Amino acid sequence: MYSLTEDRAKEWLATSSLPTPRGKAAASPQNASTITDEFGGKAVIKALIPTGRRGKAGAVRLADSPAEAEKAAADMIGTEVHGFQVERVYVEEQVDIADEFYLSFTIDCYPPKLLASREGGVDIEETHRNNPDAVIAHDIDPIDGVTEAVAAEIWRRCGLDADQVKVLAPLTANLYRAFVAADAVMMELNPIALDADGAPSLVGAMMGIDENGLARHEDWADDADGSLIAAWRGFNEREKRVAEANRRIKGGAIRYTELDGDIALLVGGGGAGLLQHDMMLAAGGRPANHTDTNPGAGIEEKFKVVVNSILDNPQAKCLLVSFNHQQLTRCDRKVIPLLEVLRERKVDAATFPIIIRLVGPGEEEAQALASEYPGIVYLPFDASLDDAVKTAVETRNRIVSEGASA
Amino acid sequence: MSILIDENTRVLAQGLTGTQGRRDARFCLDYGTKIICGVTPGKGGEEVYGLPVYNTVAEAVAQHEVDASVIYAPPMRTKDAILEAIDAGVKLICALAEFVPRHDTVIVRAAAEKAGATIVGCNTNGLISPGKSKLGAIGGDDPDEVFVPGRVGVCSRSGGMSAELALALKRGGLGVSTSISMGGDVTPGTPMVRYVEMFNADPDTDAIVIFGEPGTTAEHEVAEFLRAGECNKPLIALLAGEFQENYPEGVSFGHVAAMIQSKSDTVSAKRKMLEDAGAHVARSLGDIPKIIKEVLPK
Repeated sequence: MYSLTEDRAKEWLATSSLPTPRGKAAASPQNASTITDEFGGKAVIKALIPTGRRGKAGAVRLADSPAEAEKAAADMIGTEVHGFQVERVYVEEQVDIADEFYLSFTIDCYPPKLLASREGGVDIEETHRNNPDAVIAHDIDPIDGVTEAVAAEIWRRCGLDADQVKVLAPLTANLYRAFVAADAVMMELNPIALDADGAPSLVGAMMGIDENGLARHEDWADDADGSLIAAWRGFNEREKRVAEANRRIKGGAIRYTELDGDIALLVGGGGAGLLQHDMMLAAGGRPANHTDTNPGAGIEEKFKVVVNSILDNPQAKCLLVSFNHQQLTRCDRKVIPLLEVLRERKVDAATFPIIIRLVGPGEEEAQALASEYPGIVYLPFDASLDDAVKTAVETRNRIVSEGASA
Repeated sequence: MSILIDENTRVLAQGLTGTQGRRDARFCLDYGTKIICGVTPGKGGEEVYGLPVYNTVAEAVAQHEVDASVIYAPPMRTKDAILEAIDAGVKLICALAEFVPRHDTVIVRAAAEKAGATIVGCNTNGLISPGKSKLGAIGGDDPDEVFVPGRVGVCSRSGGMSAELALALKRGGLGVSTSISMGGDVTPGTPMVRYVEMFNADPDTDAIVIFGEPGTTAEHEVAEFLRAGECNKPLIALLAGEFQENYPEGVSFGHVAAMIQSKSDTVSAKRKMLEDAGAHVARSLGDIPKIIKEVLPK
């Protein structure tokens, strides 16, 4: 999921003719002050990072003057919040809130879900914990969508009065249309505020976009790095190179995530990669990284980038190249770029052992090529994924004990 | 027998004239799949391997009895291709493309449920009833090397693992009735439990193997089916991705769907749930044939 920052989420909603407060991103405290002045001297200053729960982290502050806005922005910019570097703040006009509600749409399983609550402005998890009845969950029919009639019924069940339902039902239907049009898999509006006159305003808005839908949204696709690993602890240099290659080179995709072990993994596909990783831990080995590959044209180039990152990782002591039976893609298409990098870097497979388990079309050619490189162990056809992992762990243990006794 | 496809299944190939369609269809025809015609908009009247090509699915089904459609459309055109097949009354659809947007996948799933159709995919390498028929790239150009006919039904969330599961069974002297790669998306066209139900009802399947991963409720639904006492065949589950529990929720290392969203999505939670429901949980590929031989009546 690609998380939109608040400025982008609100821009999307505003262009969908939905009622968002006026707001602008500011990259400097001075800029935040100027914008606050534009908004009549008062504003809300929020750290512009693609995640929620900013209020509790002190990353949302009210500013009642441009000077306060400048101070708040200066306090936030350059800090780290929930693992994100704050480079900009979002400056938004203050909204008169008489009543606030919660609404979200998600597709993390089938069917898509709508959650609504009359208790807005607090975490929905907290509302659910304290008062489960205050949260209404609804299964969305993907073909019919969320109609005004369906939305009205949901808000009535939330306990809203007729006037409130009259405002929120069409708004909810329009929000769902904006959710679909954005290829969003998550949209959370918390809170939706009504002012004293009953006019709505989308004060809190978060959106997560389906990476598969990004082809329909070019302006977002540009800077979506598509990985939550970045959100988790940031990329190191070697991971950055792989992420960059994924963007630069068309076709296929490889993900590379470093971990704290010493056996490098060049494994796939998705399922076989997970299985081998589990089995390695069970066998007492510890992966230096995880990889995941989507084959496609251009994958050879990306393969080389990953192999280079693996060889640059000072923790890695050996390498396991092991994939599920290739069925259609050729084994030699993986071995050729691997050997190219090994030759270029004059890797000594006696001190940095390389174990390959690649079966399927092109296996004989791949074996023949690998046999020209001294020291590579290419396991025979009847070796299972289990055997490949065991061999890698045994090899690692052997070189470590040899190193200790030398 | 087998489930979903056999030697008599008449197959329409949507996108037959494209590079992927031609290559894949060649391997399928060589294997024995009864592909009888193709559809590519604008290419009506052409022929591929002597098979007629039509502009629309409606034209094709007006001329031929069609039991299943395999779809080679690119991801952004897959939704329309599936809906066209459903509208024309096709009851089994194998949609191969990866990267189909999630909003598209939920719409086709809803449409299939309303029409009583089964979608295998998206993001799959297909399905195979060994010795009879296959749809999609599963088994590649030499399925016999991997898939041996037999009496074990397999449903895998990973296309690559379908081959490894079949190899493990082969090494253990067993074979496959039908193997389904259900697709690695968050919202697959058909939930895993439907395939388990089909295998349970198939007289030529003696045991059922599932390959699961973190994320989604696919395995929960299977456990629910077992708990309800509906399954009268042994079910063996191999689950991968336990290591992901060492990392924060929301971090994915493999398939899009293999992302832990909550504690009940984890591999260890799923293993326990399945075991409590009466499933046999395998810890490695090699375990699977051993377990099957132990639990099946001699």
